[in-house]
Amino acid sequence: MKNELQKLKKEFIKGLEEIRDGVQLDELEKRFFSRRSGEMTQIMKNLKDLSGEARKEFGKLANEIKREFQELIEEKKTELEKEDKSGLSSEESIDVTRPKLPQTENGHFHPITIVHNKLEDLFTSMGFMVLDGPELESNYYAFEALNIPADHPARESMDTFYIKDHSDWCMRPHTSPVQIRAMQKYGAPIRAVVSGRCFRNEATDASHEHTFYQMEGLVVDKDISIANLIGVMKELLQGILEREVEVRLRPGFFPFVEPGFELDMKCLVCEGEGCGACKHSGWVETLPCGLVHPKVIEYGGLDPKEYSGFAFGLGSMRLVMQKYGIEDIRHLHSGDVRFLEQF
Amino acid sequence: MYISKNWLKQYVGLPDSLTPEELALQLTMSTVEVEGVENQKQSFENIVVGKVKKTKKHPDADKLLLCTVSDGEKDYSLVCGGSNVREGILVAFAKVGSKVRWHGEGDLVELKKAKIRGEVSEGMICASTEIGLGGMFPLEDEKEILDLTDLKLKPGTQLAEALELDDVVLDIDNKSMTHRPDLWGHYGMAREVAAIHRKKLKKYKPDEIKPGKEMEIKVEVEDKELCPRYMAVALDGVKIGPSPGWLQKRLMAVGIRPINNIVDITNYIMFDLGQPMHAFDSEQITMSSERVSLFVRRAKKGEKFTTLDEKEHELTPDMLVIADDKKPVALAGIMGGENSEVNEKTKAIIFESANFNAINVRRTSTALGLRTDSSARFEKAQDPNNCKLALKKAVELTLELCPEARVVSNVADVADYHLNTGPIELDLEFVKRKIGMEIEKKKIIDILERLGFGVKDKKHVLKVTVPTWRATKDVSIPEDLVEEISRIYGYDNIDTELPSFPVIPPERNKLRELERKIKELLVYKFSFTESYNYSFVSPDWLKKLDFNAQKNIELENPLAKDRPLLRRSLLPNLIENLEKNLHFKDNVSMFEVGKIFDVENPGERAAKNGDELLPRQSVMLGLVFSGKNQKTPFYGVSDALVGTLETLGFHIKLTKKSIGIDLYMHPGRQAEIFVDETSVGEIFELHPTVQKKAGIDYPTAVAEIDLSKLLEFYLEKEDYTKVPEYPSMDRDIAMIVDKSVQHVDLVEAIEGVSDLIVSVELFDVYEGKNIEAGKKSLAYHIVYQSGEKTLKAEEVDKIQAQVEKVLESGFGVEVRK
Repeated sequence: MKNELQKLKKEFIKGLEEIRDGVQLDELEKRFFSRRSGEMTQIMKNLKDLSGEARKEFGKLANEIKREFQELIEEKKTELEKEDKSGLSSEESIDVTRPKLPQTENGHFHPITIVHNKLEDLFTSMGFMVLDGPELESNYYAFEALNIPADHPARESMDTFYIKDHSDWCMRPHTSPVQIRAMQKYGAPIRAVVSGRCFRNEATDASHEHTFYQMEGLVVDKDISIANLIGVMKELLQGILEREVEVRLRPGFFPFVEPGFELDMKCLVCEGEGCGACKHSGWVETLPCGLVHPKVIEYGGLDPKEYSGFAFGLGSMRLVMQKYGIEDIRHLHSGDVRFLEQF
Repeated sequence: MYISKNWLKQYVGLPDSLTPEELALQLTMSTVEVEGVENQKQSFENIVVGKVKKTKKHPDADKLLLCTVSDGEKDYSLVCGGSNVREGILVAFAKVGSKVRWHGEGDLVELKKAKIRGEVSEGMICASTEIGLGGMFPLEDEKEILDLTDLKLKPGTQLAEALELDDVVLDIDNKSMTHRPDLWGHYGMAREVAAIHRKKLKKYKPDEIKPGKEMEIKVEVEDKELCPRYMAVALDGVKIGPSPGWLQKRLMAVGIRPINNIVDITNYIMFDLGQPMHAFDSEQITMSSERVSLFVRRAKKGEKFTTLDEKEHELTPDMLVIADDKKPVALAGIMGGENSEVNEKTKAIIFESANFNAINVRRTSTALGLRTDSSARFEKAQDPNNCKLALKKAVELTLELCPEARVVSNVADVADYHLNTGPIELDLEFVKRKIGMEIEKKKIIDILERLGFGVKDKKHVLKVTVPTWRATKDVSIPEDLVEEISRIYGYDNIDTELPSFPVIPPERNKLRELERKIKELLVYKFSFTESYNYSFVSPDWLKKLDFNAQKNIELENPLAKDRPLLRRSLLPNLIENLEKNLHFKDNVSMFEVGKIFDVENPGERAAKNGDELLPRQSVMLGLVFSGKNQKTPFYGVSDALVGTLETLGFHIKLTKKSIGIDLYMHPGRQAEIFVDETSVGEIFELHPTVQKKAGIDYPTAVAEIDLSKLLEFYLEKEDYTKVPEYPSMDRDIAMIVDKSVQHVDLVEAIEGVSDLIVSVELFDVYEGKNIEAGKKSLAYHIVYQSGEKTLKAEEVDKIQAQVEKVLESGFGVEVRK
């Protein structure tokens, strides 16, 4: 019986090799597997005449061979079918480079949204709340509570828009009022970033806008130090720029911080050698910052003896311009699709 | 402000090895921002003393000469038009490669070899104004070149060297020292440099004034608040003439044009101490029996006064003047008067050295549009103690420059001021906590003392007295002292340290999250493009759009006179975007998310304590859509808006308004947008007339919703229905119905027929040919499904028949079989 099976296998393989088309394959299949007269069927039938051990042994072998035959037949079938459709590459060829019609246009985010989303995600990942407040502010929050009393020259230097018939209201010239609102609402410790629109009454040209955007951070906790501020700013810039940066801190004056700083970043264009982008100084003025003035903490409803903090401001519009190399700031509020559709 | 290095060296010894750039960097890192460094030597590079050896007429130009000029080694051919050029004189010879200012105007230009009317010129003979020496050598004639013959210089010598122009000038950003009155003079800056370099600062000790008896000056100050101190002294026998070279050089280095010895002295002191001074011609001041009375008073309403610059001003009682018996003679702290100006005939003078209120000076100078070096300094709140130092210095210099001059009056001094000089208690532990690292006590004391602070060591606490020049407004609390210590210690020397924060996720800003998701859907799914418009809007545009401009908040001081209003809706500016963009594109769909200003509804508190509320400032979403071939753009906007909101899980319903339809709306194509039962906004097409007036050629649809309101209904999806076990069955129904029948009502009716109807979907709408006028054809796809069994066709047919009946009886539809 074993020999019989071996012989059958040889014949099957020989038969398979000679096949050229589907008809021959059908014939082969019939020859071996026809219900009545198939050679393989016969062998399977004969199995039941065997007894005990032999039946078991040959049954297994026969089944294996049967499965093998069937697989080979399937393979051959697929092979023949593909040969049959060998003309597909020319007959059903398409232009893969053309778009689907009718074409759908894409929508576009404003570049400021793109940059703000990225910044907000970064701050959130560092544990900061994202806040905003009124754009039309009271002078109380915009100035007084930020240690800028009525006669302070900073009020005038900020070129603020005021509201007709409401001399105590203004269009906020910075996002800093939200520092006070946030402290009053959330108390301390607090980590927050304020992202929003600000206004300054200054003539518009390629690099000046009366409407601009700030991303302002505030951290208030116990024992916040200058060393902390530098550390966080550095991490922050690295997060934003996704590369190592070298920073330096120098004095800067803002009434709502004491001490106040200007944080410069080593110019990324020339790596500190001096170039047009950094006015040949090797450093780019990046972040005004400082330890929150005790009076501001007090206006926020907290005890400056217990709490201290730092604040920093990021002109996100300048960041947008740098990121994309936008030459004229006025494009950003132009509503011009020829500009907007590039983002 | 310009700071001269040589001037600084009068007060502090600087190491020779210190380059100007290093000095600039040190000041930037510890004190003020230095914006530039100008080296005089460099600016005179390639300009030498030349000797004119020969001149002859230019063959082709009457007014030009061909000169042969020697630099001691070589002869050069130059073309020159100077009126005073002649053989034998010494001139400033700018060689090829040097930088000059043509005719003293415009930018610096690098000289190149040139042909002038056919003749070669290898450089030029300069006029004083062409190389920035107009102050030192004033032009008498426009065509005059600088004649250096009298100075007996050696040809070929570098001009900078020959004229001892060896200074380096630092350009300081004024904005970085608005809080530091003391830095507006060289002495204050020298103190900083001395502290940074730990060098000794020379004492500022001018001679005492020996008063005279020939004349009495009496000063009356009306308002001591506005003038805390006024000092004056008179000198006679003054001879007006040019200042000596050293003084001219100092002034020129800081960009001040020398005028005459007396005026130069006052300017010098202003740039030396930061104390502005003034000199009156005392013969022009009304005097009675050898007595001069000076009044520091408020101007009278409408009083006219002509300042030194020959401009007449009309004054108000808010402004302070210095006056004699009859007339004002100076605008306090800003500028002197033409009527008492020192001129070449002046023989007797009165020096004023006073202190004026910072705010008042700033207001007056802003009101008159008259900003001067003097007002800039008083605005920073100067130290009244400097008045005396400055006056002494002025007299000392006058006696030095005019040996015949003598003090003829008393030294008038009316003073009433108090400065809070502390002491401030400075806890060393506090310093350590604020800086984030420990700085040695010895070091701290050293820094403070070098800056002029008085320090008493009380072991863990320092008692620090503030010097008067820092006490006017700058330093008053321990935090201010921390800044002094750390900036001189060097911020770069502080080891950074990250703060330790608890690991708590931040509170979410759900409005911001909603905004973001809406933007993403509108951009990615509905192909809208985001715009950012100004918060300001033009009344003319609103009028054109039939928007009511009455309720818009108005700016007091708008920048663009045509956009003085705050937006009450995002739509007008978006419609403007649309109109502009339709010139470039066939179809435009845009949106904006931003705040509007609604004075009729209350917003956030205006102050912590108090009831006043700001106008409401809701965050709105606005959409606009229009384009060629868009007959019903309404659906373009409703699809995007409803699609976006439904994706986010809101239940949206549009309801046609029957009242409150605004003039700018198409009355037949408008709806109020509801979320659950709350109205959150409107969607409509512009009224065709408005659309035309706006300059748009096609029907235009817009929508605006209040995201702040929408947020209340924002829930993240938290449920789910099981995947159905049993198959569904579909039936279609087509019908003819009155045009006025609304889709939403039909759907509601169909859905109400049976619980087994799980969805009703509109798939065709048709009006026109073959349909009776006033009617429309609608076709719906209805899906039946049960959660309990497989439905039988008969069951479904029965319900479908019921649906038909309901529609027929309820809406008078004609079902098409």
